[in-house]
Amino acid sequence: MNPSSNPELDLTISRVIKAPRSVVWSAWTNPDSFEQWWIPAPAKCKVSEMDLRPGGAFVTQISEDGGDFMPHLSGCFLALDDLERIVFTNSLVGGWRPAEQPFMTAIITLQDHPLGTDYVAHVMHKNNADRNTHEELGFYDGWGTVVEQLAKLVERQS
Amino acid sequence: MILSLMEQYSDQLDGIFQALADPTRRAVLGRLGKGPASISDLARPFDMALPSFMKHIHFLENSGLIQTRKEGRVRTCVIEKKRFAAVDAWLSEQRALWEGRTDRLEQFVTTTRTKEKSK
Repeated sequence: MNPSSNPELDLTISRVIKAPRSVVWSAWTNPDSFEQWWIPAPAKCKVSEMDLRPGGAFVTQISEDGGDFMPHLSGCFLALDDLERIVFTNSLVGGWRPAEQPFMTAIITLQDHPLGTDYVAHVMHKNNADRNTHEELGFYDGWGTVVEQLAKLVERQS
Repeated sequence: MILSLMEQYSDQLDGIFQALADPTRRAVLGRLGKGPASISDLARPFDMALPSFMKHIHFLENSGLIQTRKEGRVRTCVIEKKRFAAVDAWLSEQRALWEGRTDRLEQFVTTTRTKEKSK
């Protein structure tokens, strides 16, 4: 099943990762490993629930600057194909219960590549009106990168 | 998307882009994007006299891109996220978030493997 695509609301990140598919899969599905990369340092990530089956809860928490852990992602897995695909959403929580503030579904796919793993994250969003909600949940996460990208844009133009 | 945004917010963007036109100020913003920092920590990577460095800090503060607050003898700088709202198109912010995650995942699996190999 190919996901439908809406350029206004969706994004796709493709990357060839120089590691075998099993290693990438394990980094994603082992909570101890997942905590190491999901959130940029110095903030810390704690996986509260990672129930790897359709309908299983997927809940993470974030601690900024060593403070208390706060809610970060609260979602539900929709599909898991061993070593191939992870689909999750924050439109539902564990057990397929509708979520309070839904805005996205993510499809992570892994395929073999001569150099390692072809990693694709396809993320579909509800609409732009949830911006404020999102800023609470994830703004911190991408902020350094936003600045870097902006700087690159300026460097190209100057 | 970036072009239409630039028309929409050209006045606000002028100040932001002017601030970003300087490599020292860009580096300071890049550092503050990761979290608050003191002036002395921010100045450390630069081969620059403190008064010159402070001119950049004042520029950023006057343009509203950062805020500073003094606690005791330490002045701490914080990025002003709202000021960047004109630039930070919603989807590009999402993209940055996922790019960052993918970068870190890549780094995690490649460095873990290097360690395993060297054992």
